[in-house]
Amino acid sequence: MLSGLILGLALQVQPQIANEAPGIVAALTHETVEIREDFAGMELVLYGATRGMTIQDEVVVVLRGPGRELRVMQKARSFGIWVNSAPREFEDIPSYYAIATSLPLSDIATPEQLAGSGIGLTATLVGNAGDGATIGETGQPDPYLAAIARSGLRANVYAEAQRGVEILDGGLFRATIALPPLTPVGNYVAEVYLFRDGRAIASRSTSLRVEKAGIERFVYETAHERPMLYGLFCVFIAMIAGYAANLAFSRR
Amino acid sequence: MQIYLPIAEISVNIFLLLGLGLGVGFLSGMFGVGGGFLMTPLLFFIGVPPAVAVSTEANQIVASSASGALAHWKRKTLDIKMGSLLLVGGSAGSIFGVQLFAFLRSLGQIDLIISLSYVSFLGIVGGLMFVESARSILKRNDPASARSRTGHRKRGWIDRLPFKMRFPASGLYISVIPPVLIGFFVGTLAAIMGVGGGFVMVPAMIYILRMPTNVVVGTSLFQILFVTALTTFLQATQNQTVDVVLAVLLIIGGVIGAQLGARAGRNVKAEELRALLAMMVLAVCFKLGWDLVAQPSDLFVVLPRGGEGH
Repeated sequence: MLSGLILGLALQVQPQIANEAPGIVAALTHETVEIREDFAGMELVLYGATRGMTIQDEVVVVLRGPGRELRVMQKARSFGIWVNSAPREFEDIPSYYAIATSLPLSDIATPEQLAGSGIGLTATLVGNAGDGATIGETGQPDPYLAAIARSGLRANVYAEAQRGVEILDGGLFRATIALPPLTPVGNYVAEVYLFRDGRAIASRSTSLRVEKAGIERFVYETAHERPMLYGLFCVFIAMIAGYAANLAFSRR
Repeated sequence: MQIYLPIAEISVNIFLLLGLGLGVGFLSGMFGVGGGFLMTPLLFFIGVPPAVAVSTEANQIVASSASGALAHWKRKTLDIKMGSLLLVGGSAGSIFGVQLFAFLRSLGQIDLIISLSYVSFLGIVGGLMFVESARSILKRNDPASARSRTGHRKRGWIDRLPFKMRFPASGLYISVIPPVLIGFFVGTLAAIMGVGGGFVMVPAMIYILRMPTNVVVGTSLFQILFVTALTTFLQATQNQTVDVVLAVLLIIGGVIGAQLGARAGRNVKAEELRALLAMMVLAVCFKLGWDLVAQPSDLFVVLPRGGEGH
């Protein structure tokens, strides 16, 4: 009887799927990533299924980390020494930004089309930089934003991988995104887009939380929430260590 | 084996940290120097944010100076009265230094100030040490020139200062102003550079205060112990830059290294090793100095606003 009900539902649902607009469902293998003392980066896998996917459709996955405030300074030589000068502040710059695609990004859409959908490191930085950011003349990115991009790429917290999404049979796909050892903590959003002819025809977002865990988290939270206790503990542990060393040393 | 440091927010090989502690501890045990002035720049080189390196190194020095100060306490080679006076100045210096540190960090200039301080101090200390050891190596080969210049007990302007006090353990009757000022200066250094300051205080006690050499090291360790303890506490409460995991690893390596170094130090020729240490100090100084003047690979620097860095 139960199977009959399921069959009935399936029969009811089936014709709708074929008529419906393209869609995506997606899920991450981890909803929470814990950074422990032995954390040295990890691979995050996102699984998904598409509806109404045709052969020329491609999948783009964007994972972005929590925004943070940055100050960018330009080094200038004064008296022979390089000194930080001309600071500019930025409000809401993603602390992590990675793209995984089923084809090289440039084969999926033009840079203008991507920027229109807010996809891509430069587009995201410009969009989030606030009033401080002036995009220079065409083709000339703001040097301060370019510096943010370079610094993120160096720390492996920004990545525009050319691939990383595998299209499996039956509209299923699998995206692999690397989280580096320096993965910032906070709330992440993974956006999955289905692209056809350079346009996003469907999208879906899912969230991820990166948090410190274990001793790691305990130490960090104590240091920030009970700084006095933490400071006393640091001093105490060092004094005990010194005392123990003295005992061990004078016994011989 | 990688370990993630919770406050420094970097992942470092645990054996590299233990090895650094061991190596610097060995040198400090052998030469009787604190080692902070070598360890802090080494922490910069492995990628620990300077603010965290400086504060955490102060924490490590608490352990090494506690062990040394206890040994001197037992042997009674420690002038508590003079040490307390140095400590009064040192506490004020540490409080001032931590405020200055927070202010410079808010300006985005803390790295530069730390580097500049290191280049100047390492340059001076390494240079003096090198000249001195080279001179004694030459002197040893020429016994005729081995003359002593002790008994030169004139202090000049120091004797004319007011607020004099008697220091029985050191056999001194001098003004309280110079010890407090020396203490203040060293306390400020502890906060900004993450050093104990023994390399400044010991010469100052010998040449400015004219303290007898047998109590100098113990008294300096006594002052360093409490000043670095206060600095650790203040950095932890005000700047949240003390990484206890990093500190513990450095302490473990440092304690073992210091014992090995002290034992090794008995069987080696001091002058040659002192010259070697001087060259190491100068090498670190040169590397830091070079980084200040060389064209950076990136002409922009990205800093977090307000909080600590990566």
